[in-house]
Amino acid sequence: MASRRDFLSQKAPENYVAGLGRGATGFTTRSDLGPARDGPSTEQIQEALAKRAAQLGAAPPTAYGAVDKKKPEQDEEDDERFQDPENEVGLFAYGQYDQADDEADRIYQAVDEKIERRRKRPREAREKEELEEYNRKNPKISEEFAALKRNLATVSDEDWANLPEPGDLTGKNRRSKQNLRQRFYPVPDTVLAGARDSTEFQTSVQDDGGQASADNKDGTMTNFADIGAARDKVLKARLDRAAQMDAGTGSASTIDPKGYLTSLAQTELTSLAADVGDINRVRVLLESVCKTNPKHAPGWIAIARLEELAGKIVSARKVIAQGCEQCPKSEDVWLENIRLNDNHNAKIIAANAIKHNDRSTRLWIEAMKLETDTRAKKRVLRQALDHIPQSVLIWKEAVNLEEDPEDAKLLLAKATEIIPLSVELWLALARLESPENAQAVLNKARKAVPTSYEVWIAAARLQEQIGNANKVNIMNRAIKALVKEGAMLKREEWIAEAEKCEEEGAVLTCGAIIRETLGWSLDEDDDRKEIFKDDAKASIARGRYETARAIYAYALRIFPTSKSLWFAAADLERNYGTKEALWQVLEKAVEACPQSEVLWLQLAREKWAAGEVDDARRVLGKAFNQNPNNEEIWLAAVKLEADAKQVDQARELLATARQEAPTERVWYKSAAYERQLGNTDVALDLVLQGLTSAVVDKKETRFPRSAKLWMMKGQIYEDKGMMPQAREAYSQGTRACPKSVPLWLLAARLEEKAGVTIKARSVLDRARLQNPKNPELWVESVRVELQAKPPNIQQAKILMSKALQECPKSGLLWTENIWKLQPRTQRKPLSLEAIKNVDNDPSLFVTVARIFWSERKLDKAMNWFEKAIVLDSDLGDTWAWYLKFLMQHGTDEKREDVISKCVTSEPKHGEVWQRVRKDPKNAYLSTKEVLLEVMNQLEAKEVIS
Amino acid sequence: MGSVVIPHLVTGWHVDQAILSEDERLVVIRFGRDWDPDCMRMDEVLYKIADRVKNFAVIYVCDLDQVPDFKQMYELYDPVTLMFFFRNKHMMCDFGTGNNNKLNWVLEDKQELIDIIETIYKGAKKGRGLVVSPKDYSTRYRY
Repeated sequence: MASRRDFLSQKAPENYVAGLGRGATGFTTRSDLGPARDGPSTEQIQEALAKRAAQLGAAPPTAYGAVDKKKPEQDEEDDERFQDPENEVGLFAYGQYDQADDEADRIYQAVDEKIERRRKRPREAREKEELEEYNRKNPKISEEFAALKRNLATVSDEDWANLPEPGDLTGKNRRSKQNLRQRFYPVPDTVLAGARDSTEFQTSVQDDGGQASADNKDGTMTNFADIGAARDKVLKARLDRAAQMDAGTGSASTIDPKGYLTSLAQTELTSLAADVGDINRVRVLLESVCKTNPKHAPGWIAIARLEELAGKIVSARKVIAQGCEQCPKSEDVWLENIRLNDNHNAKIIAANAIKHNDRSTRLWIEAMKLETDTRAKKRVLRQALDHIPQSVLIWKEAVNLEEDPEDAKLLLAKATEIIPLSVELWLALARLESPENAQAVLNKARKAVPTSYEVWIAAARLQEQIGNANKVNIMNRAIKALVKEGAMLKREEWIAEAEKCEEEGAVLTCGAIIRETLGWSLDEDDDRKEIFKDDAKASIARGRYETARAIYAYALRIFPTSKSLWFAAADLERNYGTKEALWQVLEKAVEACPQSEVLWLQLAREKWAAGEVDDARRVLGKAFNQNPNNEEIWLAAVKLEADAKQVDQARELLATARQEAPTERVWYKSAAYERQLGNTDVALDLVLQGLTSAVVDKKETRFPRSAKLWMMKGQIYEDKGMMPQAREAYSQGTRACPKSVPLWLLAARLEEKAGVTIKARSVLDRARLQNPKNPELWVESVRVELQAKPPNIQQAKILMSKALQECPKSGLLWTENIWKLQPRTQRKPLSLEAIKNVDNDPSLFVTVARIFWSERKLDKAMNWFEKAIVLDSDLGDTWAWYLKFLMQHGTDEKREDVISKCVTSEPKHGEVWQRVRKDPKNAYLSTKEVLLEVMNQLEAKEVIS
Repeated sequence: MGSVVIPHLVTGWHVDQAILSEDERLVVIRFGRDWDPDCMRMDEVLYKIADRVKNFAVIYVCDLDQVPDFKQMYELYDPVTLMFFFRNKHMMCDFGTGNNNKLNWVLEDKQELIDIIETIYKGAKKGRGLVVSPKDYSTRYRY
């Protein structure tokens, strides 16, 4: 130890730089005191060395550069940047030097200088020689032309002026110059319009021709709208074609395989015809096909079409004639031949063709079509029928040609004799006959084709037309007969048939079909109810309300006491039927299920909505008879009177209700009604009565544990400005019902309003103790901190983080956090996190939508609003936010749409919504007015926050 | 009086050697001027505690006029500055004054100074570069 401390008595070495020996580093705490330094810098060290050397009276020691002999000018030129990295100088400049080192340096330097001096002269001479040699080998251009330039002195001014311009002898720039010369201009609209009109047929006569021609004459007037319209038309045509192609070959699930193949073949043929580019080559190919396989009809047809495409109609005819010779039994070849020839020749060809194929329906029909006058056509068809009497198609054509119904009837009678199995013909005949005969015809048809349901339906409709539908139950017989024949359709098919009947106006038949067939093939159990409901819903979706009505009627006959079916039937009538029908259904429903108060209430509401207050009262009276002392019905009656502004009657009813059916809700409603009317004292009295405890007949008639009554008590006091009483009411209430969150909230808000933030805090703390994991209480706590004066953001954040730990799935908390506690930039990432934590929460969705809204991403915002509404249409706040959004960025229709949707979905919840709705001032507002009010309140809130 | 007894460091080299020579003890250096009244008060305290802290600290004084080398490096612009080193490492201490690098006021309470030196020594032995002073010397509460 002692030895190490000897340094105190030692002498410091020369040129020592303080701090260097131990690699000391400094610090900067105050920039005004001096620059930041990490120990002694290189400059500092050098400076120190130089100073020390100066003190000693010697040159500053540098490794090998004891005296820096460079001049300053050279210094500038020979900057450090350009220094050769391989040959660094001053590498050892920062070491420690003593006098011995210095001396050595100086000696070396002296030696170097000496040697330099000695070698100087020979080196200079050699360098000069080398330079001259180099110059001789690489002479400068100016020196090369020196002799020629000397001659320029003799050129006169005139000659200078007459020097020719240099031509482009190399051709190097030719292309770029050409590009310069070539210019492009946009095609003028007149040309476009002309091109459009050149292929257009003018079918309409222009009445103001004079003006139009005047317009066209000077060509400057261009109708841009026309051009646009023309382009649209072309596009539309293309789209139509594409759609047709799609429909033809697309992915429809029902494909007739045969038809599909033929359609494919057709498209192949036409596309072949259209796509042939090199006609000559294709012709050679096809000819070789026909030569190798002359009995192959499609080959002949193809070659004929090719010729036709090439415009050589004559050779096409020749070819197809050959084809007919080769394949006389092929209908297609003959048809092609007929098509290619004009009328007169075609007839001859058709005659030929029929000679070869006298049982070909298509050829006969084609032949018939070639004839122009009806008599000739008829003759052809008669002949055809002689040859093929079983062809339905020909019979139909024949019947179609007859103008006289009698003749047609005769023909059809004959036809049905010959082809008794054709239902079509039977139906056609029945349609032509008078109703009485038609019945006979249909009977015959039934005997001939006992498996045809069409005939039965036709019979039923016939009965409906005559007006016998109710007398004769044809469908019943039909079902029996069809079952016997084993030709019963499936249920779904029958429903489809019924819908078809409805579409064609045969409502009774439709009903009959449903009545007879709906229960077919179903087990006798309760599953049927669901099946029926599904059927009805499907029919409603297709717009076949009569069918649906019939289905419900049938279902209700089987399940007359099913409430859900009655609701569904009532819904159908309400949405698509008349008011009277709805009443009828509901009246039947209450008869069937007199215990269902909802049905009674629906009926009463419908009556009341139609303005028939007395009827509604009567309905409610009946409902009382059936369901004595039912709370719902009491309250409905009260509501009816209240809405009708019959204050006394309503009061009376409520009083009776309190006597007869003293439930909590009745008490509450009574007090609320009085409060609405402004009779605060009466309301308070009622509340107090309600809160006293009393038990009559082992049934509670007063409700000291009713949170709602306590709330009302507090609110009434609050409204009156009696704060101590209100506080007392709340504290009693929270003791009586510690689990009622709204009561706690009201208590806290009262304290907050009074400005006693501390008390509000403690109330909320107690509330949270009683109701753990309740997001609303947490949010209120956070808000208390935020609204305290001054706002205690820090505390709010701490509370929020605790809250989120306790209720991580609460959209309400996240919303509050995102909007109130985060800077704008943090909102989006946080909302993403929130959505990850909370899967589906409408209020969170609204928050996200609002974030997008604030970023003006309107589409996305709208999307999120829609999502929120789909998720929970019962939340009024969502509707209000959406409407507010649309007020800024939506169209009128959209707004109307949203308002009407909101009215139909009748939202009941939502923070602001409930506050507005429950306010006694707003008791008589409609949903729409409430919505607007809520929207305004949202706006006000936004301004504050 | 104290400055006479406490060993003086007369050149930068001596300062460096003083710092480098100790392996197990804290090196406490007072930078200032011997004639300065503040320094005199400080030296008096240092002299009195030197013996009591000798097991874990060694104390030197350094005259800034004699050794100006560290003025810039260590920002030695105050009349009196106490700095701490351990095994050639500059020890910092959070006095609450905002300057953790040094003790740049006159601390006349002996026990407090001993506590500070001891705390720094303990921290240094644990390998810390910065320790928190046992007492907050923030001037905030003085006004």
